[in-house]
Amino acid sequence: MSESAKVRIVVADDDRDILDLVVFKLSQAGYEVMGVSDGLAALAAIEAEPPRLAILDVMMPGLSGLDVLRKIRANEAIKGLDIILLTARARDSDVDAGFATGATDYVIKPFSPRELLHRVNALLARGNA
Amino acid sequence: MSVRQLLLIAVTIIGLSMVSSVALIVGAKFRRGRADARSRALLAPYRSSLLALASGEDETGQAKAELSEIPSHTWDRLRPSVIVLLTKVRGAAAEDLSDLLRSHGEVEKATKMLKSRSAVHRARAAYLFGLVRDPITAPLVVPLLSDSNADVRFVATRSLGFIGVPSSAGAILQAIGNSQGRIGVPAWIAAEALLSMGIEIAPALRAGLASNDVAVRNVCAVVAGVGTFSSAAPQLRILMNTERDDDVRVSVAVALGRLGGQLDAAVLATHTGISETAVLRRTCATALGEVGEPESLDVLSGLLGDGDRRLAYLAAESMVRIGIEGIAQLQEVASSTGQDANAARGALDVARLRGQLAGSAGES
Repeated sequence: MSESAKVRIVVADDDRDILDLVVFKLSQAGYEVMGVSDGLAALAAIEAEPPRLAILDVMMPGLSGLDVLRKIRANEAIKGLDIILLTARARDSDVDAGFATGATDYVIKPFSPRELLHRVNALLARGNA
Repeated sequence: MSVRQLLLIAVTIIGLSMVSSVALIVGAKFRRGRADARSRALLAPYRSSLLALASGEDETGQAKAELSEIPSHTWDRLRPSVIVLLTKVRGAAAEDLSDLLRSHGEVEKATKMLKSRSAVHRARAAYLFGLVRDPITAPLVVPLLSDSNADVRFVATRSLGFIGVPSSAGAILQAIGNSQGRIGVPAWIAAEALLSMGIEIAPALRAGLASNDVAVRNVCAVVAGVGTFSSAAPQLRILMNTERDDDVRVSVAVALGRLGGQLDAAVLATHTGISETAVLRRTCATALGEVGEPESLDVLSGLLGDGDRRLAYLAAESMVRIGIEGIAQLQEVASSTGQDANAARGALDVARLRGQLAGSAGES
């Protein structure tokens, strides 16, 4: 995946093990990945240098993933950013709320790291088309 | 001793207590920080192997082999991360992490813990079996469904759901009921576990629908509906007419709505009558819409003028769901001046907002 070497992705999760896992998986696939452990840091990283894609946990200290998503969608400069919510909140109403807030995709934990990578690849390929 | 001296002594004692408390907290945090740092340093060489395994990147098996060989004192520190990751990933990555737990004898350790006098140990053992999801461990977990400790029973039920062996379904249903002064497993935990076991639990489910225990019948009706166990439909139809418990009848009505079919519509229609409870009438009206049989339209249109306005609206919504014929009837009623026109207009307005009227007569 030589092209993806230039693609920047921000990942935010307050669970260190999951954060490291997602960062590792995407890095192995050739992406430039920045991992942060709370919503405020995620928003700061995205605003400072907008990535092509952000993967956000929903339940995080400071700002939740949904809060970050709302702020991104309200910010003219970055509102078109693709965002995947990666969360254990699995009820239909949670998924509805995620998409209604503006998520591009919604992945429920427990998740398949391989499937997550496929979804990332597909989203970015769609963006390139 | 003067009051002033007593006050001074008291203030000194309080001050010393506060200082020593702060020192204790700081000391504990420092020790914990050092222990964490030591642990991180010890695990650092294995971190990338663990992440490779947990992300499904260990195609050569090198990471699994390396982590399977680490000494026990290192494994004890790595184990919590393996457990955390196993709760968050699925697929090949989860299988690899389960294999790692097995390679360090965690299944054997958990098997021994099943007989521990500590409820915490028994619950942890059941939890681990649920994480590893090995079908051969299901018979080991089943006895915990009658454990003396309620938390152990709950964990065992959830673990059996994760393991997913259908032959455990009967034991889970038995654990729902209160017995020997013990509180049974909560219905929703049992229902979730049963739903994760697949279609092969159908015989246990049908047996449960005939149980003497109301809670068991209720769970079976819910599971039959959510899991669309169509083989339970004939029994549900009978139960709809014979069941005495209101909650079970409502669950049965919901299930029949989901399973769908002409016979179900006929059964549901008979329970929208005025002699039934409001909850059951409303549930049956909604279920008729889910079944979607045009034969139900007469019954539903008859409910549009009912004194229970919620029931009237639900009946109108069901008519929309049934399709063009139902919408046409509603439009006719909506143009009238009777009490039933309000429910018809309301349902049509909502359907229009939802885009459900496109293509029907009178809509462009």
